[in-house]
Amino acid sequence: MNIDVFILFFNAFLTTLLSSAVVIWILRKKYLPVIRKMEKEQQEENK
Amino acid sequence: MTSTIFFIVLAIYVITGGVVARFVKSKADFYVMGEKGTTVLIVGTLAATYLSAVTLLGISGQSYAEGPLVIATLGSFGAWIGTLLAVIYIGRKMKALGCHTMPDFFEKRFNNKKVSIIALIIMIIGLLGYGVIQLIGAGLVLSQVTGIAFPWMIVLFTVALLVFCALGGMYGVVITDTIMLFTMLAISCIIAPYLIGQAGFENMKALGEQLPYYWSIGGTEQRPIGWSISQFLVWILFFSCTPALVSRVFPARNDFVILKSAVIGVFLAPFMQVIVFIAAGSMRVLQPGIENTDNVMIIGFLEHVPSFLGGIGLAGLMASIMSTASTLFVLVGFALARDLYEHLNEKKMDEKQSLCLGRYAQILVAAVVCIIAIMRPSAIYWISIYAGAVFGVGWLPTVVGGLEWKRMNSKAAVGSMLIGTGAFILIDELSRRGVIPLPEQIDSLMISFAVGVAALLIIGFSTRPNEYEMEYFHTMKNTSIADKTIQEITAEKNGLSKLKKQYKQTMVISVSFIFVAALIWGYFFIRLGL
Repeated sequence: MNIDVFILFFNAFLTTLLSSAVVIWILRKKYLPVIRKMEKEQQEENK
Repeated sequence: MTSTIFFIVLAIYVITGGVVARFVKSKADFYVMGEKGTTVLIVGTLAATYLSAVTLLGISGQSYAEGPLVIATLGSFGAWIGTLLAVIYIGRKMKALGCHTMPDFFEKRFNNKKVSIIALIIMIIGLLGYGVIQLIGAGLVLSQVTGIAFPWMIVLFTVALLVFCALGGMYGVVITDTIMLFTMLAISCIIAPYLIGQAGFENMKALGEQLPYYWSIGGTEQRPIGWSISQFLVWILFFSCTPALVSRVFPARNDFVILKSAVIGVFLAPFMQVIVFIAAGSMRVLQPGIENTDNVMIIGFLEHVPSFLGGIGLAGLMASIMSTASTLFVLVGFALARDLYEHLNEKKMDEKQSLCLGRYAQILVAAVVCIIAIMRPSAIYWISIYAGAVFGVGWLPTVVGGLEWKRMNSKAAVGSMLIGTGAFILIDELSRRGVIPLPEQIDSLMISFAVGVAALLIIGFSTRPNEYEMEYFHTMKNTSIADKTIQEITAEKNGLSKLKKQYKQTMVISVSFIFVAALIWGYFFIRLGL
């Protein structure tokens, strides 16, 4: 196995992994609590 | 054929510029396309701006000569990480503050004319120097290929740029970028794989036996690992604060568009580069002995793929030059008209006057670019050494300090920008003349970045922010683009279901691209690394 070639393609993969991880973290931190809260409010209204 | 392709590409830009001009009805349309940018458009302009002649000419040539891993493994990796930071950290934060241009941030954060003027001077010289030198380099290569005389080549390029930048502003840039991105993607998806297929993976791997170290990070020149690591750090600094990439976020419709564009755009950065660099390596099998290595991909397009594909490849190369140049020059026009004339002069202008001023500024920039590129004064080569990277030392410490540090103030900003930029030029000139011998693993940009940060901290700790700066810092910390997006979407009819739909869509894109990246890069590793 050529370790240098592995590092190149691992870095290319890591770039996408990193950007997706950051975006998922933002979604779960900023948006998910708001969505859950609004869903709860809507359920209570419907009751 | 080559000159026909050149004129077709220019015609696409000019016609699109004319059509798009009808959508530009207000100042906001001209500067940030009315903040109506969809994911496709933001990804289009981000990826097209990212891919420049540097990839398709310079680094491809180096990949052919020394090996595809020399720049791609760590240098380009730094550029990909820098792009991620530019979009998701700096761009997203500035968008939340309502910035339409990067100088807006300096104005809002410090409310100080001295800071704004220094930031503007750095931006205008940086973007013009970097843009003009790319145009000259690419123009010389294309002039050889098409047989069109260099001065005419530059005049035609700048006239086309002028039409869609002056008429369409950011609308013109974003839409032409997105249309022409398809020719650039054709290079990575069809033409480069065709060249690799012609050469064959086994023959390419065998290059390592004929040319020792061809498939290593150090390459055939056996560059030390310290040099590669310094390239990684330098390219992060270079890309993370460059207005060309950060400003791609400003036309986005909302936060979900930015998040989706970050995932797809940052995936496309290595996708568009690495496959081209490997194809440049395949040219070493197909046609060894190319002396002018900058032309390696052009030779590939013209001699080793069917002429129809070669034509698209050449169009992609021209589009990569135009898309990067248009972004650089349109931002200079914006800085002159909006940030310098309107804001700093405190001119009260109505929408129509402001739009006219923006268009006049584009005409002025195009004329200046055209004259400098044709005359090629020696000073432009000197400026270009520092132009692209100046944002890493001149702006980055001040921007990050401004975003994150409570004690940050206008004095620290002025000191950091001037000392960082001054140190960059001084250290580089001294090392170039042999007065200070710099080790290979230390770049002058890294030292001057450290000097700029040190200046910022020393001045920041020894002075105090004024009342405005303190107040704005607290306002800024309580401003979130996510909150704005949630408010906008939930105010619509069926707001909650629309919010959930956007959330799911963004999540699916984020997860999907992890698998797409694993498949693509895993395949290449199996074929070239095992």
